[in-house]
Amino acid sequence: MQAISRPPVERPAHVPPERVVDFDFFAPPGAGEDVQLAWKRLQDEGPDILWTPRNGGHWIATRAEDIREIQTNFQRFSHRVFTLPYDPQQTHVPLPLGVDPPVHTPYRRIIMPAFLPKVVNSVEAMVRELAAGLVADLAPRGECEFIEDFARKLPIAVFMKMVDLPYEDRETLLPWAEVVVRSPDQAKRREAQANMMGYLAKFVEARRASPGDDLISTVVHAQVADRPITNEETFSLLTLLLFGGLDTVASLLGFICRFMATHPEHRRDLIAHPELQKNALEELIRRHGISNTARYVTEDCELSGVALKAGELIQVPNSLFGLDERLNPDPLTVDFRREDVRHAAFGNGPHTCPGAVLARREIAVFLEEWLARIPEFELKPGSHPEMASGHVNGVTRLELVWDPATTRS
Amino acid sequence: MAKITYIEHDGTEHAIDVKTGLSVMEGAVKNNIPGIDADCGGACACATCHVYVDEAWLAKTGERTAMEESMLDFAEGVAENSRLSCQIRVTDDLDGLRVTMPESQH
Ligand code: HEM
Ligand code: FES
Repeated sequence: MQAISRPPVERPAHVPPERVVDFDFFAPPGAGEDVQLAWKRLQDEGPDILWTPRNGGHWIATRAEDIREIQTNFQRFSHRVFTLPYDPQQTHVPLPLGVDPPVHTPYRRIIMPAFLPKVVNSVEAMVRELAAGLVADLAPRGECEFIEDFARKLPIAVFMKMVDLPYEDRETLLPWAEVVVRSPDQAKRREAQANMMGYLAKFVEARRASPGDDLISTVVHAQVADRPITNEETFSLLTLLLFGGLDTVASLLGFICRFMATHPEHRRDLIAHPELQKNALEELIRRHGISNTARYVTEDCELSGVALKAGELIQVPNSLFGLDERLNPDPLTVDFRREDVRHAAFGNGPHTCPGAVLARREIAVFLEEWLARIPEFELKPGSHPEMASGHVNGVTRLELVWDPATTRS
Repeated sequence: MAKITYIEHDGTEHAIDVKTGLSVMEGAVKNNIPGIDADCGGACACATCHVYVDEAWLAKTGERTAMEESMLDFAEGVAENSRLSCQIRVTDDLDGLRVTMPESQH
């Protein structure tokens, strides 16, 4: 994605010059090679809490301790603004992400039943069947573009199933999701949101009249605390449920698949020791964190010795939590036998990802079904995986090759 | 460090030293204590780390958060002393804590 140019803003007087680092999170240097490493460099070389003049001017907390504090202390670090740069024309409040407790809690309650382990167990068979089918089709071809051919298909199928929408419509929805999470153009992001709402409208109406046991029906008929949900709230929840689960899972699958393609010894270790899978999964998630949202500072305050002013924005790149050597020794090494794998890839605090159980299951199913059929694969020689940073770190293109003779059916 | 006794539904006791800073859930999972599933890894998003806190320890383990409260709605057999163990941080003050697991987490 082409970054549009955003001229830097003036450093406010209270920001000490030694805290300033010119960092554009839509295009960090080296992100095309390894996004997390590009962020890691900022953690290694910059101050723990730094200020960048890009994207409207904002703080970035790079250390686990501060990230945890910011994500859990919602009185001081509010979700009322969580995307950068600040968009004064953004009137739509994304729920439940854009509100703080206690307003946040009833919305969470509405969506949580859809993500409980027993529900995830019930969609697992479908996910597995789909994954197995996709891999079986790909295996004899000897090559694929992983993101398009696999990574985006799994999560959208899960979502379409949860909300009971036609699977064919995924082609319409996916490009909007890409814009919402990765475009630095605010007008485009708003437009994609609006498109999505327009798409959902007819289904919302239909399920209002005759509900089924899908997530749209649940949301449309939900109570917010003790009153019926409004139309606006309904759309807001549904759009986030869609965007929240698509690109995130696809990207994480992309990062993990790229890692496995370039680390045959890890791949063979996992195939030989399936009992490592649970820990291996956490370790892979730790190394490949993806979310870079921001918080709105509600009052003048001090964070680890830095003076923050009410109204400023501070970004919390979650990937840096697990890559902080103050928390995980030798953080860039992926060690499937690491004890105490610590990360915040799903956030911490009130907004911790409700889809965490589901997302982990999708990734586990990918590892099992893929490695069982295509145990040996690598990056296509001469090709370059395409990666991008933004509100979500992503992999947008990943070309793989393998010898069909090494595949199993 | 705090010694925590995890009691299975059938009465089997496991006394474990748990590091300060971990959650009560993590103490159990790292030591393979049966009875705490913790499917979401501590995200307060699964309600499969439900425990009953020994009455004597209720004050020290603190209040349920609003989010924990709403997740507990999805657990079975919730009582006054029910907590989600991923939401209890271990401190030295919790040395001696006793928690009991429910019959099932699902
Ligand atoms: C690997 C995949 C995923 C990752 C890494 C991830 C990460 C996150 C993170 C870090 C947050 C908190 C954001 C913040 O604090 O600003 C979040 C929130 C959220 N996620 Fe996920 N997520 C993933 C998959 C999913 C899936 C599959 C769904 C649903 C189908 C989902 C739905 C949501 C929703 C609705 C929220 C908002 C929760 C709230 O505000 O209370 N996510 N996710
Ligand atoms: S581990 Fe999932 S709610 Fe505690």
